[in-house]
Parts: sequence; structure tokens; C-alpha cells
Amino acid sequence: MSRETGIQSRSPTSAEALLSVRDLSTRFFTEEGQINAVESLSFDVRNNEILGIVGESGSGKSVTALSLIDLVESPGRVTAGEVWYRDADLAEEYRDDDSVAVDRDHVDLRTVSDRVRRGLRGPSFSMIFQDPMSSFNPSLTVGEQIAEAVEVQRRASATPRSTRARTQGYGFGRFIVDTLVPSRGYVTTPSKERAVELLEQVGIPDPTERAEEYPNQFSGGMLQRAMIAQALAGEPDLLIADEPTTALDVTIQAQILNLLRDIQTERGMSVILITHDLGVIARMCDRVCVMYAGEVVERGSLDDIFERPTHPYTQGLLGSIPDVQDPQPRLQPIEGNVPGLLDEEMGNRCYFADRCPKAMDVCLETPPERDARGSSDHAAKCVLTDREYAPAEALPETHFEAAETRGETDE
Amino acid sequence: MISPRVIRNLKKQFRSSLLPKVGLLLVIGVIIVAVFAPLVAPHNPTTQNLDRTELPPLGFTKTVNDTSAQMVDGEVETVTEVTTVNATLSYPLGTDGLGRDMLSRVIYGARTSLLVGVLGTTLAVLVGVPVGLIAGYSGETVDDVLMRLADVSLAFPSLVLAVALIGLWGRATVSIPDPFVAAGVASGMPPSTTLPITVVIVVGLVNWVWFARVARGEALSLRKQEYVKAARALGASDIRIIGRHVLPNAMTPIIVLGTVQIAAIILLESALSFLGFSGTTLSWGFDISQGQDYVSSGQWWIATMPGIAIMLSVIGINLVGDWLRDALDPDIEGEGGT
Amino acid sequence: MSLGRLAIKRSLQGVGVIWGVITVVFALRFVTPGSVINAVAPLDASQETRQAIAAELGLDQPIYVQYVQYLADLVQGNMGYSYVKGLEVTQMVFQRVPATVELAVAATVVAIVLSIPLGVLSATRRNSPVDYGATLFSLGGISTPNFWLGVMLILLFAVQFDVFQTSGRGVTSVAVVTSLVGPEPFVATLLEWLSYITLPAIALGTYFVALITRLTRSGMLDELGKSYVRAARAKGAPESLVRYKHALRNTLIPVITVLGLQLGTLIGGAVITEAVFAWPGLGTLVIQSINLRDWPALQGSLIVIGTAFVIVNIVVDIIYGYLDPRVVYD
Repeated sequence: MSRETGIQSRSPTSAEALLSVRDLSTRFFTEEGQINAVESLSFDVRNNEILGIVGESGSGKSVTALSLIDLVESPGRVTAGEVWYRDADLAEEYRDDDSVAVDRDHVDLRTVSDRVRRGLRGPSFSMIFQDPMSSFNPSLTVGEQIAEAVEVQRRASATPRSTRARTQGYGFGRFIVDTLVPSRGYVTTPSKERAVELLEQVGIPDPTERAEEYPNQFSGGMLQRAMIAQALAGEPDLLIADEPTTALDVTIQAQILNLLRDIQTERGMSVILITHDLGVIARMCDRVCVMYAGEVVERGSLDDIFERPTHPYTQGLLGSIPDVQDPQPRLQPIEGNVPGLLDEEMGNRCYFADRCPKAMDVCLETPPERDARGSSDHAAKCVLTDREYAPAEALPETHFEAAETRGETDE
Repeated sequence: MISPRVIRNLKKQFRSSLLPKVGLLLVIGVIIVAVFAPLVAPHNPTTQNLDRTELPPLGFTKTVNDTSAQMVDGEVETVTEVTTVNATLSYPLGTDGLGRDMLSRVIYGARTSLLVGVLGTTLAVLVGVPVGLIAGYSGETVDDVLMRLADVSLAFPSLVLAVALIGLWGRATVSIPDPFVAAGVASGMPPSTTLPITVVIVVGLVNWVWFARVARGEALSLRKQEYVKAARALGASDIRIIGRHVLPNAMTPIIVLGTVQIAAIILLESALSFLGFSGTTLSWGFDISQGQDYVSSGQWWIATMPGIAIMLSVIGINLVGDWLRDALDPDIEGEGGT
Repeated sequence: MSLGRLAIKRSLQGVGVIWGVITVVFALRFVTPGSVINAVAPLDASQETRQAIAAELGLDQPIYVQYVQYLADLVQGNMGYSYVKGLEVTQMVFQRVPATVELAVAATVVAIVLSIPLGVLSATRRNSPVDYGATLFSLGGISTPNFWLGVMLILLFAVQFDVFQTSGRGVTSVAVVTSLVGPEPFVATLLEWLSYITLPAIALGTYFVALITRLTRSGMLDELGKSYVRAARAKGAPESLVRYKHALRNTLIPVITVLGLQLGTLIGGAVITEAVFAWPGLGTLVIQSINLRDWPALQGSLIVIGTAFVIVNIVVDIIYGYLDPRVVYD
């Protein structure tokens, strides 16, 4: 089943976008059924901007990130969509290749080979994850692992794309040799030196010593810095940060966020910042996409989202933030739970309708995405873009309760 | 411990793959054969039939080459008389060197293996679990001492230690009267089962450490739990705490380990009887060692049949053990060795 | 603590265990049914011989004196005298050690070389025919008694196809190595060595091939699902690097632990395999000693086996410490 996103007047690519995602769908084929984690998702990432993707757990934001760089693991798979990436050289290389979709300077990455896509990890895209401690191999030094990232880039740029697979290899025999004779490894001395440089750039003191230490000797904040250093090894155009500060103490969070912003400004990189924390969004982002149940329900500039939220879910999220200036006697949580995303259970309606305080009869059909008030970037997937809420047409509260008691209780 | 969730898990794991079913089938098969041996076996496994020795199993024939020097036309020649011996239906798996029925021997052998396996494991549990619980629950010094003891115990490979102990203590046996024969239901069968008691004791002693370790681990982690501290604060005695809190939680890994150990002990027992260290000759291992002498003359079934029986039993137990482990707690490593 | 300190600590612990081993073996002497003299002397010895033996062994002394004497003897390398065979036990035992070591090492090498690639292959090609085959083989391998496997191998390869030898040792591995430089023809020596050691090594090693394959496979599957693997892929590391330098390395760590624990099985298995193939090692000595009631020889063998076991475990611990820095640096 596919849903119309109704994005108006969008060509496959916007000339100024670094990355244009169109109708991306990722599904998980599990024993319990098909789970639609990401549903016909579209968004752009522009040059030199920090794009925020905000949503609760289960909204599909992390899966989106993994889908972009082809890290979705079975039983999941990207099932549809286009990922247009602007790279003039790459476009030139594949312009005459019929199997690859090219539009001016953009290449649809879903049409190139696996190998080429993987080759982009590092120089084009890189990702940092939520828990730094589990994102590093505990039995290798931090410096070694960062040096690996550097080495990957070094080898990639030294060899033409076509022979890359052969020279990149690292077989079982190599492993035996490496274990027995540690000096002759995959990483080279220049890579190690560069790794130390990177550690310094992210603000780790005594980088030479710390590079020889193991991940469990680092604090959470330090290790996250190290992970950022590792992500920068290939000098990527786009950095994807998946909940980079969620696992850290509040004071450290601020440091890491500042570091990210500094890096972004210095290098003119684009960043996709994924989080459930609106405070982080407010602090860091230029534009925001709000995700719910695998879809973008509202998008816009930072101003749009915080000053003129149109979709009731966005309003709900903002209403859940305690406000020191204007303390309410009680917080306003959003009632209910995030849907399970099982294909058979998702109907052709607004997915938020069962929790929406402003649900109306018309919400039983899929709402199209329309422009909303504010900047030209502001759009929401809700009928309230065009009209006001009319209590007379409200859906009765019992409408979804009956469906719930009929449905199966999941275990 | 046997909560509804656990039972549901068990069923789910059982249904999800063919392996647990095969395992359970094999295990039940072995148990039935072992328990009802006098009723299942076609012959008395100890009866010798000296005119029916070395019969091949069904579907095979045995060729005997009788070479002798004879006078033919005034000259000495070597004449080879070739006799073909066919299998008989009444001895489906053939007979051994003394004419004893292989099928019956294999069936009765299951008794020995199962008895030793279960009793030996029980002994190991009865010794190991209390020691482990005490070590884990009491203070440092007691723990240290007991663990040193365990280390020394483990310093000997179990087979070597078992062999040495049996060598020193002999091969005592206990005769258990067979209820079926006593009831008159199975005539002509051996009236009692010989249980090699020294083997049981040795095998149990050699393996107690694995259970002690598991129990100790559980006791250690649970000692730090809040509810244990609370119970102590309320004045509950240590034994009560161990019994009510620590033990039920430890049961899961102990059960999983127990199945692995039964398999290991069956292998150990067969090794011991292969070497001639068991008190009974009605054992799979013993038959294999007998059979080894006949292999060079081409009579392979005496050695092969018992071995297949061992394999099937151990495979069955291992599969059941895997099933239990996957259902009860996927985190346990089931490789508590021999 | 550093790796060096770990080594020292483990060694000291090991010394303690070895002392325990020696003491237990000493105590065994007094656990034998019948008097100790009957245990030590040959069955047909006369009364005078028995008395002489008793005096020589100091059996009239109090136990602790005997114990000290025993320890003192051991330190000097004297493990007693076998009245049954008429040889010094020390000589008897150490003459046999190389054969057992050779067999154990051969089996282990075969096991590791075969099983790790098989385990990795099985994990990376999950549910393929290779995987199913490997899993079934593993299940069979750990369920097969190795002595029976030995007999079956003899049946198949020596009786049906007359390829290998079924008993004895033939040339030693040292001889094979020296034949590289010495006068004997290398290939012939090598082939002869192989003809004797192949079947026993397979019989002994199969269990471990099965075990290690199983462990490697499940370990790899575990590791490949972990976050750091995903992070490594995200930074562009080639799949083979991720597989070997990261996942396999971390998989081998618990595998080595289990191997260490299984050393007992290896040695026990060696004893039995030696019995099947009449391989002249420590194992056959142990069994012989029991059957001939040669207690001094038995004691000597037990001490050597126990001590070797402890030492190898220490080495394994240290290797483990080298591979897993968490152990060392925590």
C-alpha cells in the first residue's frame, strides 16, 4: 500500500539540495507480519544546514537514517523510494549509464550498485550513534578504530572506484597475520597520526595518549567526541547524528552539541540531527521535520515549528515541555501510545487520529501534505492547514476504543 | 520458576523447529527402551549361543574364508573354503563373538547408560549445588577455600580422574532386581540389573564442580539484590533465604546444565566401560571394545551398533538441552564440558 | 593491571593449584584398598621384599614425614620407582610425554584450522546448505564417542581401504622435521608419520571441530548483530575487515575460554584415543598402570597430567588477557 504524500510542485531534485529523499519506504518482514517503519518519506537536506528530525521512539526516525546509508538489517529492507545525492563527479560518471538515474548533478543512490553505495560511507555520509560505548569495539583501542576510518578513506581515494573491492579486502589469512604480528595491520602510520589529529580537533586532551586507550577507559562524553572524530575521518558532506546526546549527562550534552555546531560551521557540512528532545532541536537546528508513525507529519523552519505548529502532534509535543516562564499546574501529555506499525493494522487514515484531540470525520481519510502558514518550507500533513477545527465534526472518542478491544493484544 | 511464561516459551520453541521434536522423540525412545528392556528385548542379552556366533545383521551377509593346506593330487595346496553366513530374523542386529544377541545387548545397554547418567548427574547436583550456594552466599574466605578445592578438582581431566579413582576403589556393583521379571511378565530375562555403583559415584564426583560454579554464580548475584537484603533485614535466616530466593532462580541454569551433563556422563560411562573399568559387561562401551577385536576380520556390527545407540542418545539429549536452553534463558552458554 | 602482572598473578595461583594436585595425589596413596605396601609391591613379592620396600618408602614414618619426603623427592625430580616394571617412574613418564603432546597438538591444530573458517562461513551464510551441513555435522560431532569414532575409522580406512596404520606411532614429528635437513628422505618420512597419526588425530579432533564450529558460528552471529559492527560499517569499513578484525576477534575470546575449559576433555580424549590406537603416550601408561597395579607409575602420570593441565590453563588465561583488554584494564 502506498500513500500519497501530496507534496506539490517538487521536481525529483531541488537544485540547492545536497540530499533529496523521495517516497522512501522501509519495511520489516517479521514473523508477526510486515512492519512499515518508514512510509513514503520525502525531505531535503540543504547545504550547510542542520536539519532536525524529531519524534518519539517508534516514529521511524532512526530507521530513516539507517535507510539513507544502507544499514538496514534483515528482516528489514528499503522497499521503495529515491535518494538523490548531489555529487557532480558521481553524476558525470554515471550519466551515460542507463541503470543509474541521474538528474543534472544528482544521482539516485538507490539505483547504483551496493558497492558504490557503501563506498560513499565515509567521504559522503557518516553517522554517529546514540550509545558511544556500544558503538566501539571494546577490544581495540580507540585510536586504532579511528585510524581504520581514516585508512578506509585513504585507500578509497587512492584507488579508482572500479578496483576498490579488490584492494579493500581483508581476508582470514590477513587476520591471522595481524593477530600474530600486530605491527603489520590494516591501519598505517599516517592513518594513526591523522587519528590523533582528529581526536585533538574534537577537543580531547592528550590525544596521543588517549588514542592508545580502550573504549572502556573513556567517559561517555569523551567517547562521543571520539565517535564524532571517527565520523569526520572521511570529511563527509553529510553527518547523520542519531540521538547523539541522549545517553549523556546534561552538562556533557551541551558540550557535545556545541562541538557539533562548531564542526558544522567550520566545515560547512550538513547535519541531520535525530532526537526526541525538542530542547536540542531548538538549540541546534535550522529546519525541522516532525515524524510520526513513519511519516513526516510537519516540516518547516525552526521558527515555523515552534511558533506556528499546525499539526496537533507537533502542538502536543510542544505542550509537553515544561515551561519555566509560564508554569502550568499540570503538563499536557499526549494521550495514548505510538502505533505498532503492523501493515495489516494501519488503515488508510491519518495515523494520529486515534490520539488527536482535534480529530474529525474527515481524518478517517489520508490527509495530504499541504503548505502551512509561515515560511515557504512550512508544510503539514493535516487538514488543519486549510481550516479550523470544528467540534461538530469531531470523531467520537469511542471510535477507536472499539477497534482496540477488537484488535489483538500483542505480547 | 516454571511460570506460565516459561511454559509458553517452551511450546513456542518446540514448534518453531524440527530439532526439538527429533530430540524429544529420541530421548523418550531411549527412556522407554531402558525402562521396559525386558519387555522390548527379543532375547536375554547374556545368553551365549556358541553355535550362532558372529551373525551379521539383517540385510548383510558374512563371508568366512577358511584357508587350509590340503593334499590335492599328491601336492600341498592352499584351499580356501568360502562360506556365506546369512542373517537371521531372530537376531536382527546380529550376534557377538559369544553368540549373544546384539539388539538385546543394545537395549539393555541403554539401561546402564541411563541409570549411570541420571544417578551420576543427581549426585553431582546434590554435591555441587549446596557447595556452590554456600560459596556464593557466604563470605570471601569460605568462597575462596571452596573455589580452590574446585580448581584442584578441575585440574584433572575428568576421564583421567575417573579412571584413577576406579583403579583405586575397584569396580563395585549393586544388583537391582528387575520388577518385570519378578512380576513374571518377562521370562527368560536377567533377573536383576547390575549397577556399577563405583562408576556412578566417581562420575558424580568428577562433575560436581560445574554445578557448584553455576549455583555459586547465582548466589553471588542474588546476594546483592535488594530483596535479599530486605529479607535479611527482616530477620529471615540465611538458609531460608537461600531456599526461597536463591534456589528457584538457580534452577534454570542448573536444569540446562543437567541435561548437558547427562549426555556427558553417558559418554564418560561408555568410555570407562570401553577401557574395562565398569563393573558391568552389559554396557555399550564394553561391546565396542569387544567389537574392536572383530573389526579386522570384517565383522563390523559388534562395534558399530552400540556406538550408533550412544550417538542417538546423546544427540537426543543435546537437542532437548538446546531446546530447554533456548526456551528458558538464551543467555546461558550450554557448554559445561566433560 | 598490565599483562605482565596478570601473568605473574595467574602463575602464583597456578603454583597453589599444582601444590594441591600433588597433595591430592599423595593422599590417594592412602585411599587404596588394602595396605599401601600391597599397592606398591608386585603381587608375588615375598615377605622380605615387602619389608624392604616398606623401609625404603619410609612407610613406618608418620604421615607428615612421608609427605615432606615425597615433596622433597618431587622437587629433585624423583617420582619414585616402579616395582612392577623395574624402572624409575620419572623416566617412564617423561618418555611417554612427547607422544601424547604430539597427538594432542595435532588434533587441536586440525580442529582449529578446520572449524574456525567453517564457523565463520556458517555464520555469514546463514541458512545456506553450508550452514545446515555444518550445524548437523557439529551436532553429530559432539555426540559421538571418540573411541567409537576411532574404531569406525579403523574399520573404514585400515580394513576396507588399507590406507592408514591402526596402531603404534611410527616416526616422531621431530624425526619429520629433522628429515628436512638430514639424510632421510623428507617426503617418505612425512608420509610415514602421517600414516600413523592421521586416524588418531581425526578421532580425537572431531569433537573439537564440532565444538569450535558451533561456538564460532553462534559467537559470530552474536557479534555481527552488535552495535559496534553497525558503527564500523557506517564508517565505511569493508565487510571483510568488519568480519575478521572486529567480529571474529571478539568471537574468539569466549571460544578460547571454552577451549581452555575443554582441555580436560582433550586430555581425557587423548587417553582413550591412545587406548584405541595403541599410541604409546601417557594415556596408555595410566591404563596400564592401573591394570598392572603399578601405583607409583600411576601417581607419577597423574602428577604430570595435572601439572601440565594447570600450566596450559595459565597460558590460556594470559592469551585471553592479551585478546580482551577488559579483563586486564578493569
